[in-house]
Amino acid sequence: MNVEMTKDVVRMTVTPGNPPQPSSPTARPPRVAVGPSPAMRAGSVLQAIREGASVTSAVHPSVHAHPAAVDIRGFELWYGSFKALHSVSMPIPRGRVTAMVGPSGCGKSTLLRSINRMNDLVDGVRTTGALHVGEHDVYAGGVDVISIRRRVGMVFQKSNPFPMSIFDNVVYGLRIYGERRKDVLQECCERALRQAALWDEVKDRLKQSAIGLSGGQQQRLCIARSIAVNPEVLLMDEPCSALDPIATQKIEELIREIAEKLTVVIVTHNMQQAARVSNYTAFMYLGRLVEFGSTADIFQNPQLPETEQYVTGRFG
Amino acid sequence: MNSPGSIPTATLRSPARLMSALMLGLTGVASFLIVAVLLTVLGYLLFRGFGGLSIDFFTRLPTGNPQDPGGFANGILGTLILVGMAALVGVPFGVLAGIYLSEYGGRGLGAWLVSPVRLVCDVLAGVPSIVIGIVGYELIVVPMKGASAYAGAAALAVIMVPIVARTTEEMLRLVPASFREGSLALGATKSQTILRVVLPAAGGSVITGILLAVARIAGETAPILFTIGGSRLLPGDLDKEFPSLTLQIYNAARSPAPSEQQLAWTGMVVLIAILLVLNLAIRLATARAIKNRVGG
Repeated sequence: MNVEMTKDVVRMTVTPGNPPQPSSPTARPPRVAVGPSPAMRAGSVLQAIREGASVTSAVHPSVHAHPAAVDIRGFELWYGSFKALHSVSMPIPRGRVTAMVGPSGCGKSTLLRSINRMNDLVDGVRTTGALHVGEHDVYAGGVDVISIRRRVGMVFQKSNPFPMSIFDNVVYGLRIYGERRKDVLQECCERALRQAALWDEVKDRLKQSAIGLSGGQQQRLCIARSIAVNPEVLLMDEPCSALDPIATQKIEELIREIAEKLTVVIVTHNMQQAARVSNYTAFMYLGRLVEFGSTADIFQNPQLPETEQYVTGRFG
Repeated sequence: MNSPGSIPTATLRSPARLMSALMLGLTGVASFLIVAVLLTVLGYLLFRGFGGLSIDFFTRLPTGNPQDPGGFANGILGTLILVGMAALVGVPFGVLAGIYLSEYGGRGLGAWLVSPVRLVCDVLAGVPSIVIGIVGYELIVVPMKGASAYAGAAALAVIMVPIVARTTEEMLRLVPASFREGSLALGATKSQTILRVVLPAAGGSVITGILLAVARIAGETAPILFTIGGSRLLPGDLDKEFPSLTLQIYNAARSPAPSEQQLAWTGMVVLIAILLVLNLAIRLATARAIKNRVGG
């Protein structure tokens, strides 16, 4: 699986700016039916999920080509009495971009926020199952949540630069870890801003407030702030949903670049975006992982007809 | 149903316009009256008190002699010291309580404490200041066998704490949750998040709350009426009788001697001037806070 193939997927399945037509599957190669159950017909898996049945996720063998940076095993989550995640098992490959797609309320953001335990901030959250980052079970008793969040960065849907200078924003993480040396902070600030493709735009106004930046610049600043502390994993929760197409394009380029150094997990509602930036794609529905495989397979050759219908825009 | 393109004519407009003009008139008259009343009070105050402004007023002590009444140097200094002492206690307590109410109280251990604390703050803020003065007299002055600056400052601090706590809480609540999330997601602890992101983001408005409370207690008379005892000397020992501007205005205004009454008028002008300066400081701080928040 490589980026070139991902780009092919874009060309083949989705024409940018032109939503896929329901009646034009002719250009697609014939689908190989290797679903988990031979009796499975179109819609039956989603129907079964709606009826509350437990279903087996269709996880392609290709996801095991890389060691897992985040290994989710039988993970379940409740908000009070509402069960938001049903036995999700998903090895997220190291050093790759994994996209999570699915209709609103399918639990993809919940799953994303489980990885760095941001769900702890919500009242009444309970979990079972295991979620490993590296070797460590994030939900084991006595785990230091702070140290997990240092290893797993997060970029939010709405950019949230702090009301302080650009420089102070970027080095915020380093400072809270106790770094005081000015030269170290400056060096890290420049490196992070360069990685976030923001350095040239802000290098002359590092001392100015971050609030004055444009929406796209703010989001790239938030990415710089996250990668300044060298996380192993970067979680992105619909990072482009509030941005215009040009800013979105810049963020997507950025995602492909930083993915060379770390593992990126991105939640998106935009199928084209998932196809463009990700190596692997997970399709979720009502708290279940339905299908998980390489982005090319999910978009061109999914095991389940439901997945194909969703990613081509004929459902959800 | 109107056909496309047809616009309803004046039939509906006239009463609505009339109502609009009426509203404009009423709100305008109300605003004008408020300004008029304020200007009357201030104008009369200046008319009566301005003539008494002199170097003597700021540098001399009250003599008690109607022929040569002296000044309120001790009272001005005393009020500043009392307010400073009260703020020294009231600001940290108030700000910390406000942080607790806004940041820590929501869930987990001690969540049950939030509603009672908030209720107590609201009730305490509404307690008439004379009540706090008399209770302070019974609980502090009587056991300490004498009025003192400590007793007065304590009474003022009690008035100050709930105001500071509630404004701090409200201002911290205005800080977007996304700032807290962003900080926590970077591995910051809760206290780091509060100290480095939430408090600075709310900074200006928290200071506004503090200044509001300071302005409020600087003008209080009832709580210190029974607690500081008053003094004709410059502020000295904090555990003895202590002078205050408001108390001296109160006493001088009740004097039959016109020269002492003049002192009271002048004292009021000075007190209003001090509060006005504080108020301007508040406005400046608030304007800066609002400016900082735009786009945030």
